[in-house]
Amino acid sequence: MANIRQITAIQSSAVLASTIIGVGVLALPLFAVKAADAGAPLVTLLGMALGYIGLYLITLLGIRFPNQSIVQYSEDIIGRWLAWVGSVAMIAFFAVITALGAREFGEVVVTSVLKNTPLEVTVVVMLALATISSRVNVTTFAYIHNFYFPLLLGPGFLIVALSMKNADMINLQPVWGNDPSGMVPGILTVAALFQGSFVMTLVIPAMRRPDRALQASFWGIFIAGSLYVSIVVAAVGVFGSEEIKHLLWPTLELAKATTLPANVLERLDAAFLAVWVTAVFTTLLSTNYLTIRMTTELFRLKDHNLFATFLLPVIFVMALIPKNIFQMYAVIERVGRIGLAITIAYPGLLFVVALIRKKRGKRPNENAMEPAR
Amino acid sequence: MKTRWNRLVKLAVPMLFLLPLMTGCWDRLEIEDRAVVLGVSIDKAGSNTGSDDVTNNQGTRERLSRDSIRVAVQIALPGRIPLGPGEGGGGTTNSQQTVWVIDVVGYSLDDAFMRLQQQVSSRIFFGHLRVIIMSEEIAKSGIDNVNDYFRRNSEVRRMAWLMIAKGEAMPLLKAAPKLERIPTLYLMSTLDEGINMGKFPQDYIGMFWSNASKKGQEGYLPYVALKKEQNVEIMGLAYFKGAHMMGKTKPLQIGGYMAIKGINPAGYRVFVRLSGSSRMVMTSTTHRDTKWKAAIRDGHPHFMITIVLEVNVEEKLDMEFNLHDEGVLREIQDVESKTATKMFGRLIRQTQEAGSDIFGFGEYIRAKKPGYWNAKVKTKEQWQEQYKEMTFDIKTFVNVRRVGMEAR
Repeated sequence: MANIRQITAIQSSAVLASTIIGVGVLALPLFAVKAADAGAPLVTLLGMALGYIGLYLITLLGIRFPNQSIVQYSEDIIGRWLAWVGSVAMIAFFAVITALGAREFGEVVVTSVLKNTPLEVTVVVMLALATISSRVNVTTFAYIHNFYFPLLLGPGFLIVALSMKNADMINLQPVWGNDPSGMVPGILTVAALFQGSFVMTLVIPAMRRPDRALQASFWGIFIAGSLYVSIVVAAVGVFGSEEIKHLLWPTLELAKATTLPANVLERLDAAFLAVWVTAVFTTLLSTNYLTIRMTTELFRLKDHNLFATFLLPVIFVMALIPKNIFQMYAVIERVGRIGLAITIAYPGLLFVVALIRKKRGKRPNENAMEPAR
Repeated sequence: MKTRWNRLVKLAVPMLFLLPLMTGCWDRLEIEDRAVVLGVSIDKAGSNTGSDDVTNNQGTRERLSRDSIRVAVQIALPGRIPLGPGEGGGGTTNSQQTVWVIDVVGYSLDDAFMRLQQQVSSRIFFGHLRVIIMSEEIAKSGIDNVNDYFRRNSEVRRMAWLMIAKGEAMPLLKAAPKLERIPTLYLMSTLDEGINMGKFPQDYIGMFWSNASKKGQEGYLPYVALKKEQNVEIMGLAYFKGAHMMGKTKPLQIGGYMAIKGINPAGYRVFVRLSGSSRMVMTSTTHRDTKWKAAIRDGHPHFMITIVLEVNVEEKLDMEFNLHDEGVLREIQDVESKTATKMFGRLIRQTQEAGSDIFGFGEYIRAKKPGYWNAKVKTKEQWQEQYKEMTFDIKTFVNVRRVGMEAR
C-alpha cells in the first residue's frame, strides 16, 4: 500500500491527452465543418471548452475526495441506490464508447488499408490488446500512456506543420463561419470527443499530489485540444470547408496530401495511420479500463483482471451491431450526446449536492505522501 | 513451480491467438502480383471504336443513358524499369519496354476498370497513379464520374495530376518522350518543372477538387497537347464551371492568371513594343506581388487588384536604341504595364463570360464580406451568376530591374 500514490501531475496530463486523442481525430474536421463551415476551428475550440467543463467538475470532485473514485464517492454524496443507477449508466456508457471506438477503428482500417482483412479481426485484435493491457494497476496504466504519449503528439503536430504550407487563409475566414446555425449541435459533437477525460477520476486517487490535479487536467485537455484545433485549422486551411464535406476522414486525406520535404515521403498517410493506431489503442485502453475499474468498484470485487476478460466478448458483440458506416456515425453522435449528460451533467449534480451536503473525503493518507518540502 | 507454469500458459495462449491475426496477412500482395498503374487516359468511345463492346450492351447502355468511354491505363512492368542512371547501359528508353498500355471501353470508370481487371492477371493498383489525362470532349461533357471515382478510391493520391488533352488523350499515354524512361513521369515532370520555372501554378488533383468544391471558386486544369517529337506542350488553362469544362486560355494567359493570383515564381516572357516602328524588347517576369481589395459598389462586388511585376530585359531586337538611354526603361515599364493590364482584364472577362471564377473572387467575398455573401450569394450557383456582374479595376506596376550582361 505504501507506494500506491505514484502518479505525478505531468504523468496525469499525459494520460489525459493520450486518452482524448483517439479515433475521433479522423472525422473531427468533418464534424466541425458541418457545424459552421469556415468557423470549424472555433467550433472545435468551443467544444474543447465544453469538454473542459466536464473535466473541471470531475477534477474538483476528485480533489474533494482524493482517495476515492467517482463510483465510491457518489455513494457518499447521493446515497447508495441513486449512485448505483448513476454508476451503471457510466459503466454502460464507457462500454459502448469502447465498442464504438473499436468499430470506427475497424471501419477505417478496412476501408483504407487492409481491405481484405475481415472487420471482426481488426476489431477483436484491438479489443484484445486493450483487454490484456487493462490487467494492470493504475500506475502501470499511467506508464503505458506516458510511453506512447510523445509518439502521438510529435507526428500529429508534424503533419499539421508540414501541411500548413499549402493552407490558404481565405479558407479560414470568416472565423465564425458563413452559416453558424449548426454551431450548437456541432459543439456538442466535438465536446463528445473529449469524453475520455473522464479517466481522471481513476487517476486522482493514485496521484501523489491530488491538489495539483487541476493543473494536470488543464494541461491535459490543453495539449489534446490544441492538437485538435490545429488539425482542424490545417484541414480547413488546405481543403476549404466545402471540400471537407466530400471527405469521410479529412484528417487522413490531409496526411495523404502532405509530403515530407525533399521527396523523402510523398504521402504521409501510412505513417499517420501507424501513429493513429497507437492513439486508438491508448483511447480504447482508457475507456476499457474505466469500464472495468468502475464495475469492480461497483460490485466491490477484489481484482479486476478476471472481469476484464469477461467483458471482452460483450464489447466485441456491441461493436458489431452498427450495420454500415453512416449508421455507425449516427450512433456515435447520439451516444456522444447522451454521454455529455453522463460526463458533464452528472458530475455537476454530484458536485452541487456535495457542496450543499458539505460532504468531503479524507485527506490523502500521510505515509503515502511525499516528505514535506 | 505451478504458478510459473500458470503465468507462462496465460501469456502463451493469447499470444498464440493474437500473433497470427496481427500480421495482417489477408492483405498480403506481393509486388510482382500488382499491376501498378502509372497513368490513366479517358476518351469518348463513341466514334473511334469498333463497337463490339458497345453494341453488346445495348440494354445497359439505354439504362445508363450515357456515352461509353475508352479508358487506357499505363502499367509499369515490374523489373523493366531501370532504377538509377547506370543500369542497362543506355538504349532502353523505349516506352514499349518499360510500360504496357492497355485500353478498354466501359460506361463508367469503374466499369472500365472492372473490364480491364478481367483482362489483366495481376491486381490493378492505383497507389502510384501520377497522371490522369482526359480528352477535351470528356471534360466538356462533365467529369463528375472522374471526380467521384478517384476521390472514393483510397489508393489514389491527391498529388496526382489531372490534365486535359487537346484532341485524344490516349496518344499521350503511348508517347515515348526521350527524356524520361517512363512516359507518365515525363508528363508529370513537364508540369512539376513548370511549377519550378513559373510556367504553371500548383494544381494537383486534390487542389482542383478543393477549388471546384468551393462555393466562390471554380477549378482549372492544365491543357496539354502532344507535339511532333512526342514532347508535351502546356497550351493553357482549361477552366471549369462545376464539373464542366467551359473553355481554355492561351499559354501566356497562364502567366496572366498567376499574376492576378500573385503566384511565384514567375516565368513568362513577353514582347514589349515601344513607340516607333520596330523598337522591340523581350522581357521576362521574375516576381509578382498582388493585392486584392474587395468592396461592394452599387450592390455588386467590386475588386481593386494591384499587381506589381519585377521584370528583366532579356532581348532587344533593334540596335538603333540603347537601354540606358534616357527614359527607355521607363517606357518599357509604362508600355508593359498598360498591355499587361489589358491582358489581365481580358482574361477575367473571358472567365466571367463563362461564369467560371477560377481566381476565387467569390471566396474572397465570402471570407472578407460575409455580410454581403450571406445576404446575396450563399450558393455556388448564385455566385456563378453574380460573377458575371462583378466589376474590377486592375493597376499594374512594372519595375525593370536588370538587363542581363550587355551594357547597352
